[in-house]
Amino acid sequence: MLTSLHIEGNSWLHRLPVRAKLLALVALSILLFLSGSLLVQLTAFVISGGLYLSAGLSWREALKRVGFVFFTIFFLAAVNLFLLPLSEVAVLTLRLMALVLFAAAVTATTTIGAFMDEITVLLTPFERLGWVRAADVSLALGLVLRFVPDIFSRYQAIREAHRARGLPVRPLTIIGPLIILTLKDADTIAAAIDARGFRRQ
Amino acid sequence: MNTRDLVLIALFAAIVVVLGLIPPITLGFIPVPITAQSMGVMLAGCILGAKRGAFAFLLFLLLVAIGLPVLSGGRGGLAVFAGPSGGFILGWVVATFVTGLIAQRFVREGQPEVRQFVGFFLASVIGGIIVLYAIGMPWVSAVTGAPLLTVATGSLAFLPGDLLKAAIATLAARAVFAGYPLLPVRA
Repeated sequence: MLTSLHIEGNSWLHRLPVRAKLLALVALSILLFLSGSLLVQLTAFVISGGLYLSAGLSWREALKRVGFVFFTIFFLAAVNLFLLPLSEVAVLTLRLMALVLFAAAVTATTTIGAFMDEITVLLTPFERLGWVRAADVSLALGLVLRFVPDIFSRYQAIREAHRARGLPVRPLTIIGPLIILTLKDADTIAAAIDARGFRRQ
Repeated sequence: MNTRDLVLIALFAAIVVVLGLIPPITLGFIPVPITAQSMGVMLAGCILGAKRGAFAFLLFLLLVAIGLPVLSGGRGGLAVFAGPSGGFILGWVVATFVTGLIAQRFVREGQPEVRQFVGFFLASVIGGIIVLYAIGMPWVSAVTGAPLLTVATGSLAFLPGDLLKAAIATLAARAVFAGYPLLPVRA
């Protein structure tokens, strides 16, 4: 149900460490927002697009992943055409498309494990301050992945119960029972975690 | 933060993921389809309170960022943050926190039912609509260059749907509050 957007492959971007890719994304966004030159934006767009397409996605999948964001960008660009000069609209639109493509390329070429390792590193200063524990973040993430299929089958069961009684399936009558039934498990799950000493408390 | 709070945060993030899998509903009098996931902010704030609700959404954003397609319609990855609606997505955390603060302040056990409904509705509208748009709209304007007034006018199309979501979230949050109250136990 929850399959990662990562694509297996061995492109140049796949081999690059996560940190370099994330820093490149930050640097690119700063550069593109500071620059108003059409040539810079166009170059960034072509390079980002090339990197994204070289990640090993099929054309259809590649389009599907960025399609929705591009739709929003084009819609706002169409509105902007009435308000701003054409060259400025071109700069704004190319900048956003370049950033979206580069971000999508980073996502497609990075595994969840690699991201988690990086997040653990990023959390270290906060851990020293005693605000958050990296182990807790990983545990919470694991719990989400573990319980999404359970909660989804609970949703289906509640939907079937509605149909069996001839009731219309409405969000209002589904969300309440779904949340109560799910959160009621919290005590049992917390007890199970503590019994195994996962959090060393 | 004790283990139970940690589990509640994780379970709520998982509920928000599942809300994204529920097919959106289209209503004749509202121009945009309503996704159950966009009610998550109001629900998390009203049910878990400010701190745990905001953490549940931080965890959810982490899932998006590491490349899981958990946003409604199977979207995800870093690209959604780079797009024009990135402000709305990042704004979810703050919006949930504010919703939770207001809900904690105004809703108590033993109050008349009507007061609880009013409290949850106010929390949902102020946190889930006003605060969210106060973050999301300037962001759209900044990254796309469209004047803020134009963005604000365009956003009006979403307002009827958002008010309806606030109403549904109010009823659902009040049902959870009656059946399994979590709000009074502050994390």
